[in-house]
Amino acid sequence: MNLSHGLADTRTLFLVVPHWRTIATGVTCDIPAVVLNNNRVIDATPGAARHGIELGIRRREAQSLCPGLEIIVDDEALNNTRFASIAVALESVTPRLEITTGGKCSFLTRGPCRYFGGDQALAQIVVDRVSEALSTMVGVRELSAAIQPRVGIADSRFAASLAAISSSVSCVQIVPPTTNADFLSSFPVDALADGDSPLPDADDLVGVFQRLGLETLGDIASLPKEELYARFGTSGSLAHRLSRGMDGRTPILQPISSLMSGESDIDPPADHLETVVFSAKALANGIHQQLSGEGLVCVGVLIEVESDHGEVSSRLWRHEHQFTPTDITDRVRWQLEGWFRSEAAPTGPLTLIRLVADEVIPDDGYQLGFWDKETPNDERAIRSLTRIQGILGSDAVTIVHHGGGRRLSDIEQRIPLAATTFDPDRPIVLPESSVAPWPGRLLAPLPAVVLSQAQELEVTDNQGRCVRVTGRGRVEGTPVQVRSKNFGSHSVVAWGGPWFLEERWWDSCRKTRQARFQFLLADGTAHLCVVENSRWWLEASYE
Amino acid sequence: MQKASSSVPLTDDLRQISTPVVLARDRTLPVVNELAGLFRGAGLQQGSTIEVEGAAAVSLAVALTVGVTGSNRWVVAVGLPELGSSAAAGLGVQFQRWAFVDRPKDQAGEVLYALTGAVDLILVGPEVRIRANHGRKIAARMRERGTSIITVGDASRCNLQPSLRVRVNRTEWIGLQRGHGRLDSRKVEIELVDRNGDSNHRRQLLWLPDSQGHLSVAKQDNEWTGQSESCSRGEQKILTDLDEQIPWAS
Repeated sequence: MNLSHGLADTRTLFLVVPHWRTIATGVTCDIPAVVLNNNRVIDATPGAARHGIELGIRRREAQSLCPGLEIIVDDEALNNTRFASIAVALESVTPRLEITTGGKCSFLTRGPCRYFGGDQALAQIVVDRVSEALSTMVGVRELSAAIQPRVGIADSRFAASLAAISSSVSCVQIVPPTTNADFLSSFPVDALADGDSPLPDADDLVGVFQRLGLETLGDIASLPKEELYARFGTSGSLAHRLSRGMDGRTPILQPISSLMSGESDIDPPADHLETVVFSAKALANGIHQQLSGEGLVCVGVLIEVESDHGEVSSRLWRHEHQFTPTDITDRVRWQLEGWFRSEAAPTGPLTLIRLVADEVIPDDGYQLGFWDKETPNDERAIRSLTRIQGILGSDAVTIVHHGGGRRLSDIEQRIPLAATTFDPDRPIVLPESSVAPWPGRLLAPLPAVVLSQAQELEVTDNQGRCVRVTGRGRVEGTPVQVRSKNFGSHSVVAWGGPWFLEERWWDSCRKTRQARFQFLLADGTAHLCVVENSRWWLEASYE
Repeated sequence: MQKASSSVPLTDDLRQISTPVVLARDRTLPVVNELAGLFRGAGLQQGSTIEVEGAAAVSLAVALTVGVTGSNRWVVAVGLPELGSSAAAGLGVQFQRWAFVDRPKDQAGEVLYALTGAVDLILVGPEVRIRANHGRKIAARMRERGTSIITVGDASRCNLQPSLRVRVNRTEWIGLQRGHGRLDSRKVEIELVDRNGDSNHRRQLLWLPDSQGHLSVAKQDNEWTGQSESCSRGEQKILTDLDEQIPWAS
């Protein structure tokens, strides 16, 4: 393949909707709002930015900068589902829209550009269509400048994405053909680690480049390709390709064999989304297996679903690195949810699903780096845990997340593994070492068994009367007997307390007041019980 | 053309290299120093099942994982939704490579089978039940891949043969009295029993936990004070931070 031909083929239009994560949740961008992922700000509206909120800061920090801040928790499924209405607006422009994720999509411009009469005209049409769709979605006539869609056109997808992001004034930035390398040369190397870069785990690489004194993409492009490959392996040569303005990877242009697509009839036709997703799972697994048998991975997949009445939803999805079967089924779910919710929703049950591996590339493998923290051990464990998520549901596998607070239920939190990415250096803040002092919290030793649901108890004195704690904190009666439904009746050998806890007394709806006790029972077991509103609860056991 | 006789030493060499002699009992998962004295090879034998029973079984099972979590190995707790992670952290567990499968429901066999070979140690809660044919498959895979299982409570309900039983014989809480004091520390006596009920008992006295919430070795000459009466730690200790600041009881 000669060079100029290759460049012409990969000329791409990249569309970015700024603050999409905020828009997708239906919050207007005029008010200060932030989107959080892993407790870090990943998107801040202009209103929030005016208060000095930057990307990457923690929630508490953001809240302290702007007390009235609207907090949105990132929801990837929603982002992608809502993006369907934007994608529909572009369907008349190109039949091959590639959606990377909610808020970002791209397509090859070769055909559309000729049809609409040039890059400028095409970009203008895309901006108009998307703006229109956005303003109906947000419900305003005139979009504010901050959420105007941005369009970039360049000879490679990577350059187009940078053009779109860096288009400051006019919302459209067009890099003339064959000037890609010049355009890119002034960008800092950080751009390689950007969200739209096809370079996997580029943070470390960028760090090394910076320490070596390579500050711009132009510096990298001027190095000999072989040297970069020898020093950094495939990611080095990929960085070189990207910096020189070529597309990240050469797609394999051989005809797609029947192995790389799969379809399955859904019989009986399905009304429910999950049935279709289930069939998609099997198809995706099959395609993935056959591709990996040939040493290939899929970076673009076409998902088509047909209904009984002949309606078709067809969409092309793109992944920066490679699609795993779970990634594909996620996209099927997002596409269908979007379709069901759109105006063109199917009127009949669904009868057919087809998956086509649209773009495949050779599998370079995943080389564990020298300084990489993830070990093969971790990879194996994560894979088996993912499999368990497949068996039991995505929330079944959880990891520890210590929250701040006074109650055990605030401290002992678990979050689904599916909602996070594994990071061996993840700081796990222990209650003792937490920064906030939380006066009133329990001190060590802490109970080894914390009931997820507190059990109601009856605590009586030697005359069988219920032991009470007065509003002034006096205990009336001596606890002698403890009784509960599942746990039987036991006599109390020793007891301590009450220790009081009063939370949020300023808020009439959420205020709580409780007294804690420790009981040592005749069978040698020790328990933590609380009184709240004159009722006794067993909260935890020192098992 | 080489003669067959000359290639004999070569194959012997090859055999030596390709199968270095590591006996199963030498392949162990680390345990913390406080417990290491109990185990032959100072660790949990890989691929074995260990049954922990008695009053402090959950704490003890967690204490056995501490060394494993400290060496970048994976631990998964199956069927232990109520495990107190703060208390476990106090004992020294590092949760970076620790996952919970809280409710395996009737799929426990599949879950354990998927985990064996992929993680290093599995903690199995008291409610988990496994069918006999699953149990056999899991045990075979454990031996092959070197994953160990610690069951809280009886291992036979999982249809697994424990090669070691760790039993908590006596426990005693210290510090709590009638109407005052607080739970401060717990002394436990643990005992190891081999698969064939070996009389070669190994015993250990431990603070599980001690007054800081850690694990530590108790002196052997400490007398057991009896259940009802608590030890004579004179000062009345406080339970929560609040008491340090506001004197509730005056």
